[in-house]
Amino acid sequence: MTISDPFEDVWRREVPHVLGALVRRYGDFGAGEDAVQEALLAASQQWPPGTGPDNPRGWLLRVASRRLIDARRSEHARTARELRVAVRDRVDTDHAPAADSVGPAGPAGPAGPAGAIEADDSAESADDTLNLLLLCAHPALTPAAQVALTLRAVGGLTTTQIASAFLVPSATMGQRITRAKATLSGLSPAGARFAPPSASDLPDRLTAVGQVLYLIFNEGYTASGGERLMDVPLAREAIRLTRELRTMVPDHAETSGLLALMLLTQARAAARADAAGDLVPLEHQDRALWDRAMIAEATSILEVLLPHARVGPYQLQAAIAAVHAEAPTWADTDWLQITVLYRMLDGIAPSPTVRLNLAVAVGMAHGPAAGLEVLEPLREEPALARGHRIHAVRAHLLEMVGDPAAREEYLTAARLSTSVPEQRYLNARAERLA
Amino acid sequence: MKYVILIHSNPQPWGHPTSDFIAEQQTQSPEQREQMNAEFEAVLTQMQESGELVHGEALADPNTSRLFRWKAGEAVVTDGPYSEFKEHLAGFFLIDVADQARAEEITAKFSGPGETVELRPAMWPGGDDQ
Repeated sequence: MTISDPFEDVWRREVPHVLGALVRRYGDFGAGEDAVQEALLAASQQWPPGTGPDNPRGWLLRVASRRLIDARRSEHARTARELRVAVRDRVDTDHAPAADSVGPAGPAGPAGPAGAIEADDSAESADDTLNLLLLCAHPALTPAAQVALTLRAVGGLTTTQIASAFLVPSATMGQRITRAKATLSGLSPAGARFAPPSASDLPDRLTAVGQVLYLIFNEGYTASGGERLMDVPLAREAIRLTRELRTMVPDHAETSGLLALMLLTQARAAARADAAGDLVPLEHQDRALWDRAMIAEATSILEVLLPHARVGPYQLQAAIAAVHAEAPTWADTDWLQITVLYRMLDGIAPSPTVRLNLAVAVGMAHGPAAGLEVLEPLREEPALARGHRIHAVRAHLLEMVGDPAAREEYLTAARLSTSVPEQRYLNARAERLA
Repeated sequence: MKYVILIHSNPQPWGHPTSDFIAEQQTQSPEQREQMNAEFEAVLTQMQESGELVHGEALADPNTSRLFRWKAGEAVVTDGPYSEFKEHLAGFFLIDVADQARAEEITAKFSGPGETVELRPAMWPGGDDQ
């Protein structure tokens, strides 16, 4: 599938709905995913160029259902032959109604008797997509597998597109997806339906979905503007999916917080690299380039959210990003408010990284010496020891107090960084102090 | 996160798998060798299935190298090996894993007596603006 594919938008829009409906009806995610891919292939061969059918979702669903049932039948037939057990009657009874509903006209035929298969109302479809997101973020999968599966099953991206976004060969990404599908299939007995998580499990599972979407976003955002050209803008894709998730769980405050956080971060995209492709840190960004519409959307989400919700980590990070967004310059930033927000974040989701950010905020609000004091105990923190960030932050603070040790800290940070633009930036800072 | 696992070794004669041509490993008991091989194969299979293994190559004898050095405005070519040290680069694996801990867990299975295995992070073109 290339950018010039006239039906790409249709695929991307319909894939989660079609796959979601199949998973709801037939339970097996892996087989459903295979069937959807086959239906897309059939569509690319059968739809007349430029015009698709009137109801592309119904068409794809019909074809995919037929493929799934055919695959099941041959699978069952083989099993039955091999095991020499007479289970066929039961199998056929189990699946006959769904098979019949596809209609004798066949997948490529005219409208045909569609029955229940086309009776998807939008509420059911939204539930299907939500269930797919929950399934793709299943705790049995590794984060890398969750990300790949979400982009493929809900985002409707091809394996090749996902592979190129993550700079790995298609075969490697294909392996991750195959493995993830096999893991999911292994979780339920053959043919069993995937029960949606119980009400008590739902918050945790939604948190996992949020983490996957945020991973996708960060992969896209941190890669943008550098030397790397992406043909699939992952950050925008993550925002699209989070926006969709929010319409399904409008009362889930952290999903709204996550959307606000993504929008406030993505708003800086145009300012984060200079003409040469070098990384421009927040401090030196041209704020006129920030996307005001995105900031306004995020701010209005937060204004409704923050007074009412039990505040979670994404909402707090979004609130911090909003304080940056409303400051006309780095120096005019309300650092005191950011300090308070980071202390709250450290209270509900403590981590060495949060305390490192707190040290920056304290350094700006109360002076670099105070920031260095917050930072000092973190120097023993094993989670930060091998990374470059603590040295970069310390170098900045040392530079602010005029300590010549800043140069050596910049060089240490540069040595430890594995990001080409960050390393170049840190070496340049050290050079200025030489 | 991407890492390269570099196998520094000196099999005599040069050959792969290097463990078959290294004195320290040849003198191990067959059981020991078999166990190490089995563990290595297991982690390799696991990495292939999980999509953590991106690429790997075994390299030819360092004496087959051709070295290109710039002199007086042009490349002057001589025969290898590049390094005068005892160990040479014998092969490499490019892996893409969740974190440093996983990379180290894998690399431990790549090491053996008489060889040095180096785990080195790959640089990436992105970066954070905060």
